[in-house]
Amino acid sequence: MGTTKTIKNKHSTKHAANGSGVKGSKQAKYGDKGDGVIKAKKNHLSKAPIPGQGVKGRPKISDILKKRKKRVYSEKELGIPELNMITPVGVTKPKGKKKGKVFVDDRESMTTILALVQAEKEGQIESKMIKARQLEEIREARRAEADSKEEERKAQFEETKDSIRKKRKRPRGGKDSDTNGFKAFMAEEQAKASRPDKTKKKKVSFAPE
Amino acid sequence: MRPLTEPETKVVFDKLANYCTDLKTLIAPLDDGDRYVFRLNHSRVYYVRLSLANLATSISRDALLSLGTCLGKLTKTGKFRLHITALPILAEHARYKMWIKENGAQPFLYGSNVVKAHVGRWSEDCPEHSGVIVLSMNDIPLGFGVTARSTAEARRLDPTGVVCFRQSDCGEYLRDEDNLFAS
Repeated sequence: MGTTKTIKNKHSTKHAANGSGVKGSKQAKYGDKGDGVIKAKKNHLSKAPIPGQGVKGRPKISDILKKRKKRVYSEKELGIPELNMITPVGVTKPKGKKKGKVFVDDRESMTTILALVQAEKEGQIESKMIKARQLEEIREARRAEADSKEEERKAQFEETKDSIRKKRKRPRGGKDSDTNGFKAFMAEEQAKASRPDKTKKKKVSFAPE
Repeated sequence: MRPLTEPETKVVFDKLANYCTDLKTLIAPLDDGDRYVFRLNHSRVYYVRLSLANLATSISRDALLSLGTCLGKLTKTGKFRLHITALPILAEHARYKMWIKENGAQPFLYGSNVVKAHVGRWSEDCPEHSGVIVLSMNDIPLGFGVTARSTAEARRLDPTGVVCFRQSDCGEYLRDEDNLFAS
């Protein structure tokens, strides 16, 4: 008690006494009391056969469990909807790709792009022209049809007009011409009225003397 | 100033192909071994000789106002708008042309569409909604637009009917002087 020792490395002395330099090691916990002999506790457990261990060739259960825990699922495997993720859809960048813009400055690549664009544009214009021609043909056909119909109608109209004219030229007393009948009647009446005038002789009579 | 990326190049060529027939001549090598390239600065696309573009690298982006021929502008949505400054190039390789009479030149240069009464001549077999270069009767390019009717349809149209929607005209040199090279 009375003597004090100067310790250079207190950790080394404190825990080194336990056999290991680590504070919370098993040796430190259970203690070997400095004799260097480690007593094995629970010897019965170590001696008892472990159920999985007995058969050789089979993997241990603990190993299987460890393996399962280690498995990491990718985002595709999980089936999380894209919009529900932490990072927005457009923000994720493909891995392993070079950062920055890729410039097109050499003539070959420019010519390739140009050829692609021009072919596409030519195709578009061509299809537009074909479509326009087809539409024009359809329009022409419709117009021709409309013209023929119009002519037909006109011809029919003329025919009916002619027929009506012919009907008018018929002798009076037609069954459908009431006005004509009336006129005829009036004319006859007039004739009757005028007839006696013509037949009457003028007479001059004197009173008898 | 930088070269165009692949999608940018595609968009630019796509727009140019509306008005031009043969685009290969645009990037064909010249007699002196030089060639024309496309460069982007402040979202504007320039058509410039490679030698000039290389020289221009000595000028900082902010200080560089313009070089070569300004073709147009790439919008923030990734589309390409042709400017009137591209007219000489378009007129040289034009697919369809429309010549307008003198009485129609002024209304066109003031920003209105082309009506049938003002059309002097027109390329045959021109479909509707295709790019067309508008020229005066003296073959001076005045602007460009998009056809409203095909040639066949336009024949039946009344004189006041619009045959070409204006996209750009030379009057923009005065009207949009401030926005042509700097936004």
